[in-house]
Amino acid sequence: MPITGAYCVTMDKERCISWKMPWKCSTCVEVCPNSVFSVDEVGRAYVSNDLACVGCRICIEYCPNNVIHIRSAEPERFTRGIWTFQTIDEIHYKAQTGKYILRGYGAMGPLPHFDDLIIVPAQLHPPSPRDKYREDCKIEVTIGEGKVEEPLKLKIPIIFAAMSYGAISREAKMALALAAAKLGTAVSTGEGGSFPEEFYVAHGFKDEENFRNSRKNYEPGGYLIVQWASGRWGVSLDYLLRSDAIEIKIGQGAKPGMGGHLLGEKVTEEIAKIRGIPIGTDCLSPATHYDILNVEEDLKKQIKILRDVTDYKKPIIVKLGPGRVYKDVKIAAEAGADAIAIDGSQGGTGTSPERAIQDAGIPTIGLIRPAVKALQDLKLREEVKLIIMGGIRNGADVVKALALGADCVAVGSAALIAMGCRVCTQCLRGKCPYGITAQDLELRKRLQPEKAAEKLVNFMKAIVDEVKMLTMLSGHDDIRQLSREDLRALNINTAAITGVKLIGY
Amino acid sequence: MEYKIDAAGKDLRNLSSEIRKALQNGISKIIIENASQIHGIASGLKDGEIIINGDVGDYAATLNDGAFITINGSAGKYLADNMTKGLVIVNGDADYGCGVYCYGGEIVVKGNAGDFLGALNKGATIIVSGDVGDYVGIYMVGGEIIIIGSVGENIGDWFIRGTIFIGGEYESVGHNCKEVSIENEDIKKLRQYFNKFNINADPRRFRKLVPISARPFYGR
Repeated sequence: MPITGAYCVTMDKERCISWKMPWKCSTCVEVCPNSVFSVDEVGRAYVSNDLACVGCRICIEYCPNNVIHIRSAEPERFTRGIWTFQTIDEIHYKAQTGKYILRGYGAMGPLPHFDDLIIVPAQLHPPSPRDKYREDCKIEVTIGEGKVEEPLKLKIPIIFAAMSYGAISREAKMALALAAAKLGTAVSTGEGGSFPEEFYVAHGFKDEENFRNSRKNYEPGGYLIVQWASGRWGVSLDYLLRSDAIEIKIGQGAKPGMGGHLLGEKVTEEIAKIRGIPIGTDCLSPATHYDILNVEEDLKKQIKILRDVTDYKKPIIVKLGPGRVYKDVKIAAEAGADAIAIDGSQGGTGTSPERAIQDAGIPTIGLIRPAVKALQDLKLREEVKLIIMGGIRNGADVVKALALGADCVAVGSAALIAMGCRVCTQCLRGKCPYGITAQDLELRKRLQPEKAAEKLVNFMKAIVDEVKMLTMLSGHDDIRQLSREDLRALNINTAAITGVKLIGY
Repeated sequence: MEYKIDAAGKDLRNLSSEIRKALQNGISKIIIENASQIHGIASGLKDGEIIINGDVGDYAATLNDGAFITINGSAGKYLADNMTKGLVIVNGDADYGCGVYCYGGEIVVKGNAGDFLGALNKGATIIVSGDVGDYVGIYMVGGEIIIIGSVGENIGDWFIRGTIFIGGEYESVGHNCKEVSIENEDIKKLRQYFNKFNINADPRRFRKLVPISARPFYGR
């Protein structure tokens, strides 16, 4: 949570161009959307309001002489106990406004995570390690195989998590679609509907004309998953028919049980049109679906009907930010889902109340064991795929999730960071200085979809390479061979949470 | 051309397939009998006229995108869920969740309707000749709901756009909902609807409910 006044902003005036040559440079003034910098009457840039700094560091990024420095005002937990600046600022904010704090991203701080597990390398005891440089490792995943006519055949075990147009910019959506097409994986619309270009590009076509003529521009082409969420924004029959899979969003890790939030600041003319809401209004998805009120019975019926209207071709995914994980997953599986996506509390969001992010929901590694058990008890472990998301950052996290029982994972926050995000967590304001979550046209121009897609492809290729490397050093040549036996827990809590043996055993 | 289907013993997949095949073959009017056990009947249609004789299950006419559907009986829960275009007429009652998530089209219920009528309505016109339960138009962002009879509690709870007209009494309004005077334009519009759907009501006695603010949640 960036706090007003939480950062010390200083400039090295000795090296600043504007102090040497007045009026020659004011880059910091131009790039900062929060007016931290000003130019004085003789043309020199200076820090005029460091209280407004949110720590996004866009000024550092753009300063040609690297003369700006931003630091946290004070080390926190070491010196102030529980009364950190963050806590104090939250209390002051509530006292002044009567409102709670909203922010982007997922749960922060010392929660159980994949770092508490290590991957077991193979040595003398079989299986022997595989040679990454000579041998191949199978990493493809299919969702809906044997259940629907057109399953998702993913080239890699990683998809892009649902992020709505509104939560992120049109340019960021396009970058994700383009990267999905180049990687042969899936991207999701999120809950805000879609625009035509997203569909064409995700499938590997530059535009509608190329799509109509089946002239693919990006190989191998990807998939577009459309969300059917509790606000049902931008959802129509055509929207479902154009999709490759439908994701019924019941909840998400960063705000489980809370529906969705898009603040009015980000509801532009185009977003309002797609969603069917007034410009500038807050767009809230309710906590429950108003057509799944009798959950167990209605979810089953709704899955059947969604299959029927899409001619039994597309996989149906149910996404949960589960709390009572075993029971939630069991209900979704019994309802007939082809895949269940479960999102942990470290999973990101564009906007959520701070306390819902930090204090509600289950950390990601705590989800997998009960979810797997629910599917095993129903004898649906092979049939229903498990997609894990919530704070996946690298190939090690992916391998650990797969070994715990996931069939594939989804990345959201890490994908935004790969595009250039610096995690200032102020996605809700629509003023992202990198253009990723911005809805302001000028700020959006800072993100070029092709360049951002290139970074996404590079990032994903690197973590896929890590997945192969770590799978093979464990002695496997197929990610499906990974199991809990390939992991050890670094502490007793993690061992208890995951069912993985503690190191030393 | 007319085509008759006896739905007895059929499941949704078989019935839908038969309906779609008939429409593709140029049949413009389909009459369905014995369909009360099927949920999701006549869903996802873009054209044609469907007449269903007897009651229907839940989710009838879901995602309707242009068909004219008449139900000569009562409808289960979530009638015309997420409709975008077309017309759905129920010559009977509709259970709760009628007309939820609709982007457009028209729904006419000649009997009574349950709770959550028109929840998150975005652009449809929903008319009920009888009485309706609680939470009418909850989270609605557009369209119109017209109720000839009386309504329960929390009408228009947290709605931000659209209009609700009520001919009878109501128990309470929800958050962000207020009653305002009905205007001549409204009366004219209501009269047109009543004539179109053969409803016997006097539009001059109707009350009009609108949102208080377009930004009630996090507005600054």
